Amino acid sequence: MAEAIVHAESRSLPAASGTVFDIGYRPYTGRREGRGRSRMAIFKDGFRTALGFGRGARAKILPWLFIGVLTAIALVMAIVAGAAERLGGPGTAERANLPSHSDFYGIASIILFVFAAVVGPELLCPDRRNRVISLYLVRPLNGTDYIASRWTSFLVVMLAAAWLPQVILFLGLSMGDAIPIQYLRNHWLDVPRFLAAGAAMAAYATTLALLAASFTTRRAYASVFLVGLFVITAPFTIGLAQEIDGPAGQWISMFDLANIPVHVNDVIFNDVSEMTEHAPARELGARMLVIWYFIWTLVAATILWWRYRRLSP
Amino acid sequence: MATGEALLAVERLTKHYGNVVALNDVSFTITDGITGILGENGAGKSTAIKILLGLLRPTSGTATVLGQDASRSIAVRSRVGYMPEHDCLPTHVSAAEFLTHMAEASGLPPAMARTRAADTLRHVGLFEERYRAIGGYSTGMKQRVKLGQALVHDPAFVFLDEPTAGLDPAGREEMLALIRKTHREFGISVLFSSHLMADIERTCDRIIVLQDGRLVQSGEVGHFTKETETVFIEVDSNREGLVAALRKRGVAVTIDRTGLTIEGPDESVYDHVRDALVEAQAPLRRMAPRRRALTELFERESETAYTTGAA
Repeated sequence: MAEAIVHAESRSLPAASGTVFDIGYRPYTGRREGRGRSRMAIFKDGFRTALGFGRGARAKILPWLFIGVLTAIALVMAIVAGAAERLGGPGTAERANLPSHSDFYGIASIILFVFAAVVGPELLCPDRRNRVISLYLVRPLNGTDYIASRWTSFLVVMLAAAWLPQVILFLGLSMGDAIPIQYLRNHWLDVPRFLAAGAAMAAYATTLALLAASFTTRRAYASVFLVGLFVITAPFTIGLAQEIDGPAGQWISMFDLANIPVHVNDVIFNDVSEMTEHAPARELGARMLVIWYFIWTLVAATILWWRYRRLSP
Repeated sequence: MATGEALLAVERLTKHYGNVVALNDVSFTITDGITGILGENGAGKSTAIKILLGLLRPTSGTATVLGQDASRSIAVRSRVGYMPEHDCLPTHVSAAEFLTHMAEASGLPPAMARTRAADTLRHVGLFEERYRAIGGYSTGMKQRVKLGQALVHDPAFVFLDEPTAGLDPAGREEMLALIRKTHREFGISVLFSSHLMADIERTCDRIIVLQDGRLVQSGEVGHFTKETETVFIEVDSNREGLVAALRKRGVAVTIDRTGLTIEGPDESVYDHVRDALVEAQAPLRRMAPRRRALTELFERESETAYTTGAA
C-alpha cells in the first residue's frame, strides 16, 4: 500500500526537466600577459616538478627525504646545544665548540649536493627527452627565458633546502638558551651570514646540477655523474694535496668541488668548518677562495646559458 | 583579421644547411582558411614551418606572421599554435594539467588557462579522460592532446605538421574532421603540412606544393581539381564509331578499357557528344562528369617534369 502511495506521489510530481546547451567554441577575449607570464609558467612548473607537487607519491619521496634529512640534522644540532646549555649552564655549547651555523653547511654540503644532483636534472632532462621543449620555444619565450626560469625555480628550491634547516637551528638555539632574547642579541649577525652562505651554496649546486643535466636527456646519467663528481673529487684531491706540498698542493685542493662553496661559507662566517679545516686551499686566502667560487659558478652558468641560447634563432 | 588578408607571407625565402639547400627562393602568402603544404620528405615543408614559427633564421628572404617578422618577434608567438609531427608530450602529467601549463606558457593568466584547457579538451574529445596521465593514452588520444596544446591559447593561426602521422584509418578520419572543425567552427586558420595528398585534398581550401625546396604549385584546391575535370562515357557498342565522330568534331578523347574520357570539357562538349552519339548510332550506357584526385594531377606533373628533365 505504502509503495502504491509513493508511486502515486511520484506520478503527481512534475517531470524533472533540463536542457543541455552546447555552448560551442568561445574565442578567448581576455588578457594575454606575454613573455612575463610565460617565464612565470616555466618557473612555477619547475618549482612544482622539483618538489613533486601535482605528481604521484614517488616523485615526492626524494626531494622531501633530503629536505627532511637536512632539517633533522639542524634539529639534532639544536637539541644537543639546547641540552648542553640546560645541563652545563649558560655558554656550555659555545665553550664545548658544538657545531653551529658556521658548521652546518660544512656538515650538510654533501647532502645538499646529492639533493641537487638527484632533483635538478628532473627540471631539464624530461623536457628534452620528451621534446616538450619544442612546444615551449614556439611560445612567447626563447631559450634564455626557458633556462633562466628553470634555473631560478631550482634555485628557490635549493634556497629553501639550505635556509630552512638554518632557520630551525637558529630558532632551536634561541629557545634552548637560558635567556632567548640575549641569544638573539648576541647572535643576530648569524642570520644574514647563513642567508648569504646558503645562497652561495644553493647557487653553486643549482648551476652545476643544471649544467650536467643540459648534456643528457637521461636524468639518471646526470645524477650519477654529479654524485660521482662530488664524491670522487674529494678523496682524490685531498690525497694528492697531502702528497704534494706548496702552491701546487693548494691548487689541487681547490678542485675539491664539494669544498668550493664551503670555503665561501668560512669566509662569510670568518670561521673554519670541519670540512675545510685541513684543506690546503685555505692557504690561498679568502679573496682567492671567493674568486674561485665565482669562476666555477659563473663559467658553469655561462655554458648552461649558451647551450640553451643555441635553441633560439 | 579580415578574410582575404595575408596571415602569413613568405618572400624570396631561402634556407641553406651548409651545402644543402632546404628552401630555394620560395614566395607565397597564406590567407584565412585551411592551407595545405604538400611535398615529399625533404621538400622543405618542415623548414618553412620552422622559419615561420621563428625557430630558424632564413639564409635570405623574409617570413612574416600576422604582420610581424617571424624570426624577430617573440610576441607574435602568443597568437600562433604549433602541433609538431614528433612526440612532444610529457608522460607523467594529466592532459588537463599539461594544457593548463601550456596555456600559461602562452601568456594566459592562470584562472583563464584552466578554463581554456577544460574547454579545449572538450573540443578535441578528451574531456572525460582529462585527468588521466598522458603516458597511458593511445596514439590517437596523444595526437588530440598535441592538437589541444596548439589550440589552448586560442591562436589566430595554427601550424599542423603531419597531424595524421601514425593514426589508423578511423583515427585519421577523426583528426581530419577536427582540423576542419578548427577552422570552420573555431575560426582558427590552419597551415597543414602533409605528404598525404588525400588528406590535403579532403581538408584544405588551398594548397602549396614544394619539391626539392622550390615552390612548384600554389592555389585553390578546387581550382586544381576543376582543371582536371573530365567526362566519362560508356557505350554498349560501336565505340570506335563514336571516337571517330568525336575526333571529327575536334574533341580530344582518350580510350581506356571500359570507356572514353574527355578531358577539361567546356559546356559545348556535351552538344558534340550528343551529336556524335547520334551519328555513330552508339547506344549510351553511362555518361558522368568526373574530377581527378590531386594525386593523379601531381603524379602526371611529376612525370612531365621528370620527362622534361630527362630530355
